[in-house]
Amino acid sequence: MVTEELVRRVAAVARLDLTKDEVEKFTSQLSDVIKWFDELEKVDTKDVEPSFHPLKTENVFRDDEPGECLSQEESLSNTSHKEDGFFKGPKSV
Amino acid sequence: MSKDVIIGLETHIQLNTKSKMFCQCPTKGSDEPNTRTCEVCIGAPGSKPRINREVVNKALSVALALNCEINKRMTWDRKSYFYPDMSKNYQITQYDTPLGFKGKLKVNARVIRIRRVHMEEDPARLVHAGGDIRSSDYVKVDYNRSGTPLIEVVTEPDLRSPEGARDYLRSLLSILEHLGVFEPGDYTIKSDCNISIKGGQRVEVKNVSGLKDVEKALTYELVRQRNLLKRGKKVKRGTRQFSPAGGTTYALRTKESEMDYGYIVDPDLPWLVLTNKKIRRARGSLPELPAERVKRFIKEYGMNKEQAHTLVSDKALADFFEDCVKGYKDPTRIASWVDTQLLKCLNYQKQTIRESKVKPESFMELIRLMDKGVITERLGKELIKDYVSTGKSPKELVEEKGLGTLSDKELKKVVKKVLKDNPDVNIKKDKKSINYLIGQVLRATKGQADPNKIRGLIKKEF
Amino acid sequence: MIVGEFVKKAKKGKAGLEDFYVKLFKDLKRINQEYDCFITLCEEEALKQLENLPKGRLYGVPVSVKDALCTKGVQTTGGSKILKDYKPTFDATVIKRIKDEGGVIIGKTCMDEFGLGGFSTNCAYKVPKNPCDKNRVTGGSSGGAAVVTRALDAPHIAIAESTGGSISSPASFCGVHGLTPTYGRVSRHGLLDYANSLDKIGVMAKSISDIALMMNVISGFDERDMTSRKEKVPDYTMTKSVKGMKLGVPKEYFGKGVAKEVSDLVWKGIKKLESKGVKVREVSLDMTKYSLPSYYIAAMSEVSTNLAKFCGMRYGLELPLKKEGFNEYFSRVRSVGFGSEAKRRIILGTYARMSGYRSKYYLKAMKVRTLVINDFKKAFKRVDALAAPTMPVIAPRFEEVEELSPLEAYKMDLLTVGPNLAGVPHLSTPCGELRGMPVGMHLIANHLEEKKVISLGGAFNE
Repeated sequence: MVTEELVRRVAAVARLDLTKDEVEKFTSQLSDVIKWFDELEKVDTKDVEPSFHPLKTENVFRDDEPGECLSQEESLSNTSHKEDGFFKGPKSV
Repeated sequence: MSKDVIIGLETHIQLNTKSKMFCQCPTKGSDEPNTRTCEVCIGAPGSKPRINREVVNKALSVALALNCEINKRMTWDRKSYFYPDMSKNYQITQYDTPLGFKGKLKVNARVIRIRRVHMEEDPARLVHAGGDIRSSDYVKVDYNRSGTPLIEVVTEPDLRSPEGARDYLRSLLSILEHLGVFEPGDYTIKSDCNISIKGGQRVEVKNVSGLKDVEKALTYELVRQRNLLKRGKKVKRGTRQFSPAGGTTYALRTKESEMDYGYIVDPDLPWLVLTNKKIRRARGSLPELPAERVKRFIKEYGMNKEQAHTLVSDKALADFFEDCVKGYKDPTRIASWVDTQLLKCLNYQKQTIRESKVKPESFMELIRLMDKGVITERLGKELIKDYVSTGKSPKELVEEKGLGTLSDKELKKVVKKVLKDNPDVNIKKDKKSINYLIGQVLRATKGQADPNKIRGLIKKEF
Repeated sequence: MIVGEFVKKAKKGKAGLEDFYVKLFKDLKRINQEYDCFITLCEEEALKQLENLPKGRLYGVPVSVKDALCTKGVQTTGGSKILKDYKPTFDATVIKRIKDEGGVIIGKTCMDEFGLGGFSTNCAYKVPKNPCDKNRVTGGSSGGAAVVTRALDAPHIAIAESTGGSISSPASFCGVHGLTPTYGRVSRHGLLDYANSLDKIGVMAKSISDIALMMNVISGFDERDMTSRKEKVPDYTMTKSVKGMKLGVPKEYFGKGVAKEVSDLVWKGIKKLESKGVKVREVSLDMTKYSLPSYYIAAMSEVSTNLAKFCGMRYGLELPLKKEGFNEYFSRVRSVGFGSEAKRRIILGTYARMSGYRSKYYLKAMKVRTLVINDFKKAFKRVDALAAPTMPVIAPRFEEVEELSPLEAYKMDLLTVGPNLAGVPHLSTPCGELRGMPVGMHLIANHLEEKKVISLGGAFNE
């Protein structure tokens, strides 16, 4: 059962602040979708391996060779939140 | 050790690969912020992780050395959580299929069970504006560290004291060093320490560096929790931060309700598959590990168990010892000098052998000065203090200080003078008085003579 | 003129490239004004490229690129406000390969925000209009790519991307050819991720041979995308005879929800192929019904982690840093930066992988996906390729789309998500018109057998 409470909680985990309208709208919309997701329960998947990729793909590696990096300027080129070569971010507590 | 204390550690060790875990940026080098970074390190849209083969090899050796069972088919997983040090707000780690599980490590005759060993990436480094995590208005982020390979070693709650936790870490560290996957100094080791005492809930102290701080943090917690219970209060479940400056811990504000790692497989990375052959080969090429080395030291060098443990608990020290005994006839003598005198001086300097200026060649010079009788053992024990603190050649130190054993002729002169100055002392009447006279001679020679020799000379004079 | 001819002419110096491009950008601006298909036009950069153009396989060819691919120094938004003004520091591998072969990047095309949509109506910038009827949607999410391909007379190839049908849907609605290759056939390095285990870069063009030419350039292993395939790339321009080829008609793709007039036109197309010696038989894809929810759970789970990185740090939309905690700041940025559909899918995807729901939704969907893949594998044991309608209807009007609930909109992907979930290559080719609107026929082949659908498409359009 999808409640407004659940929508708010999941949104908080995803760091989204929803308006009251959004919560209301999403609750009924997502309720429909999740009911539809639940149809998968009808499929027997006993002893079925999950497919995380569509084709078998395993053991591709990179050799441990250091290579070129971006310059500090390039790394910081897409932000205005910077100081002394550091990125700036919100406080961590 | 007390039965009502339960401690478990989750220890993150930076592996000493040349390049990072998922990109080719170097793991060490310039400390200028954000100069060892690329699109992968900063989580730029469109960048894709590329796993470094050497990370898997090194981690596998650790899992095998810790006697783990090995997963043969593994996915890489995304652990989602938001934090300013995260480049993508998920960390690439191993969740359902850790590399190793059900391992064990023997520490001081006790078996500590290892729950799991897995690989993951290190987040970026945060610098708190104003220096303190609690009072800063914003953080500064350096992605040089972002993507450094880590292995996480998780114990079962088998530790029973802060000292025990430290000893476990020391044993673990020694294994890592013997495997050649970790180098103290350039790389770090950090632990999340879980501790609970009877009657209270589990408290996690996050991100404690090194060994000594783990002991300190746990000791502080133990006292804090005991005091709370004594006063009839509750120890509530929570996460705390250790403050190395004050040796205390403080509560972190966490929104548990907004934490859900929501693990999914990282679809950018192929399955990691280990064949039996590969595992067998890795096991076969493990180097000599601390447990075996201890046994060998006892057998080969005639050490006692304690000595062997002490030396092997620091790989650099054990290596130092073995360098010293090469071509030297009496390993027991070296073992005893390293185990007692050298370690005493290093501890006094608060240094490990690696950090110190002590080198096998110069250390052996000191031993040989004593062997040749240039200085006495007694003087040697004094001289080693100067040697460890300065790193200067012991020969030079002897010359500089005008030390060195007196010639027999000179010594005789001194003995005669002492006897002359103490006409009342007669060793024939009072046998013990010879010790007084020896003392006087030693004082006059500033210890540059062998007490046994002095004894002989005094007896002769009488 | 097909692109191959144009390249020949250009290499001989007879294409008058400079004048050609002056006129081209006039046309592009006109088309853009009329149909809103570009987020960014790269006139300056294109003219700069002309100054030193490699005489490769795409010499002088105008290439438009879906705004989901990173272009160095050129704004790359993924169709989202949260990446406004973002200028990547690198070219996607596909872009690099195109430039190295003399292709000219003319602009970045409109799309649903991060590919999250089937109509190109979830756009943060402009909503593209269907060139066949401006009151109708283009299909999505690669709507802009289809518009340019349809509306531009000059030689041109579009780079698009499909996760669950984002190439086929607009190709079908706008009446152009669109090829979605096997998962991993084309490197995803530099592609803004929607769902990494489903995303595939592909091609739209006015002729099948143009698609083949472009596929020759962009296919093949790339060390910067570890999921890209190492299998040898054939010459896609060398098509093979379709005579004797076995074509399967999956009965589930002609059933409920598919407009009869659309089915009829596709059947006509199948008959045409039969007349060219193709043998037609009915097959069954039992899991079709379940492929839709399985696809949406997989895609949403992955996209909710991929979009976590957008939080107002490092790149993209930023807000002033107040003295607030990171949770508040990140939430603030994300709430204004993402559109409604992105928010919906982030919430659904986060829910599907949260502890307590992870097995029920995420892992279950991944298991159902195995059954969907097996369905296709089973079918391809009996036939070389499958034929079906691409979309169940013709392009709807804008107001019709507005009335759809999210679930109804998701269900419009009924016929495209199967091959996308299974990662098999598929080509949508126009097979007729209904009341002036194009209808697409889907040709689907087994993993890495792009050549079969290219050959069938070529024969069909002869």
